[in-house]
Amino acid sequence: MQGIYTSVTKIRRQVFAAVAKLAYEHDEYSSIEELPYQIIPGEVPTYRDSVFVERAIVGERLRLAMGLPLRRADEHSALSKGVTECAVPKKFFSAPLVDVISFACNACPTNSYEVSNNCRGCLAHPCTSVCPVKAISIVDGKSFIDKEKCVRCGRCQQACPYSAIVHYDRPCAAACGVDAIGSDDLGRAKIDHDKCVSCGQCIVNCPFGAIADKSEIFQIIQSIKRGDKVCAAIAPSFAGQLGPLATAEKLHEAFKILGFDDVVEVALGADKGAVAEAHHYAHKIPEEQPFLATSCCPSWSVLAKRTLPDLVDCVSESDTPMIETAKVIKKRNPNTKVVFVGPCVAKKLEATRKIVAGYVDFVITFEELMGMFVAKGVEFGDLTNDEPLNDASADGRGYAVAGGVADAIVKNINALYPDKEVKVDRAEGLKDCKKMLMLAKAGKRNGYLLEGMACPGGCIGGAGTLMPLNKASAAVKKYQNDSPYEIAKDNPNIDE
Amino acid sequence: MKKVKIEVCSGSECVMMGSMDIIEAIEGLKQVKQQLKLKAQIEIVPCKCLGPCKNENLAPVVKINDELITQATGDMVMSKIIAAIKD
Ligand code: SF4
Ligand code: SF4
Ligand code: FES
Repeated sequence: MQGIYTSVTKIRRQVFAAVAKLAYEHDEYSSIEELPYQIIPGEVPTYRDSVFVERAIVGERLRLAMGLPLRRADEHSALSKGVTECAVPKKFFSAPLVDVISFACNACPTNSYEVSNNCRGCLAHPCTSVCPVKAISIVDGKSFIDKEKCVRCGRCQQACPYSAIVHYDRPCAAACGVDAIGSDDLGRAKIDHDKCVSCGQCIVNCPFGAIADKSEIFQIIQSIKRGDKVCAAIAPSFAGQLGPLATAEKLHEAFKILGFDDVVEVALGADKGAVAEAHHYAHKIPEEQPFLATSCCPSWSVLAKRTLPDLVDCVSESDTPMIETAKVIKKRNPNTKVVFVGPCVAKKLEATRKIVAGYVDFVITFEELMGMFVAKGVEFGDLTNDEPLNDASADGRGYAVAGGVADAIVKNINALYPDKEVKVDRAEGLKDCKKMLMLAKAGKRNGYLLEGMACPGGCIGGAGTLMPLNKASAAVKKYQNDSPYEIAKDNPNIDE
Repeated sequence: MKKVKIEVCSGSECVMMGSMDIIEAIEGLKQVKQQLKLKAQIEIVPCKCLGPCKNENLAPVVKINDELITQATGDMVMSKIIAAIKD
């Protein structure tokens, strides 16, 4: 479902724009109470049974977008509770980052086999014959599955000649590659926060929009309003995400209108990382370390360290492109606040880690950024001061697409150490990442460079994107070709 | 051959409200043109803010041969294009 624009997407984005507008245009925020009525107007429900429920859900989304916690559904508390306290020019939200708005959850059945209308009640009805626990019988001329008895082996589904038996899992759980989603006592989705690695895939795969993450737009705008110098570090997957008119040349001017001081490409940090990892691989693999795992995807690197507690050293210690880029910005001007703008939910969490927090002040997604552009009335079509982005090479820009990280590192190894042989394996989606890690654990990936990406397609498939995958990857290709430098090691900016 | 010109507003509000997905839908329609026996040239033009978004809740906006459609969706635009080709 991800990558298809639906009513769920629409409401999510309207909320971001509304919160950004509230922050930019007001100094007192009790009017948040009115916003659910603007986003869900009228008295007739559009999406659910009741317009009141629709507004209550939007209310929770507004709170999360301001960085506030969810409210309990069984206690009175005003929508605006905490809005004054959260209007601060610094990081505000606290864990959990990703959570279920319980009363918005449809309590979808888990791992279920159902008989569809395709059942013709055939004479042979092989479904009943193959079921090992006799859970299927013919009731009123159609096949019927007794859910209590069913052991979910799927044999009836394979046996039916009319494909009448369908299998489905709850979409959130199916999207979660680390099995973090269970149920609460009412059968609604509940996230095990010890397992969750904040990839955000459940957010964009729940058809009821019941899962959301917290945002920092509100605090960023507070910082801007206070007069702080704020610099955007934009991830290479931005290409195309902000619309056909939002070309790289327009970014400087657009961010200035939002109140930012400057924009720097995160692909610059990626270039630095690619070269550092090329050296690392050439010197240490396999003599000192069995393999080298990339570290730029935070969900993947958390999973890797968790799965291979004895091999944490094999997960690259070179700083992620986000941190490397933030360091450059802080070096130029220590008082600048750094906002990482990317496709990624997990980066919000990465930036709360103590060693990172000194460099990266805030993290937002492209979707949230789009909300800020709308709130400020930025029209890319009307911008005239073109200023090209020239910080990074095609290698660093390629980090946005699955396979790009390994490609970049291999290219630089080949250029710097022509005799070194490189073996590569890679995986996208946490399920496959996990499989690859198990192989590594078993010693079957010794000598390898391992690239892991939690989101399908790589960063361009992140939860905070606005564009279908195929188009996004074409846009990144173009952005790579536009770079003045072909290979990371030749980018003069990496020495800064 | 008949020509259908579709201007898809790519102003900020419309992009946020899904105009890129409308472009995607029209491109999908182009791919099945033969199957649907549609003999026409379909031209997609992403354009600057067309204006209506300034009033509440009218984005995304699409213009098909100068007919303005507000609160457009992919399915709506596709059926309008088919109608425009067939009449
Ligand atoms: S997919 Fe959404 S509605 Fe269904 S169980 Fe998961 S969170 Fe609830
Ligand atoms: S790991 Fe990802 S999909 Fe699973 S619960 Fe956490 S955010 Fe959702
Ligand atoms: S952005 Fe489309 S009408 Fe203004």
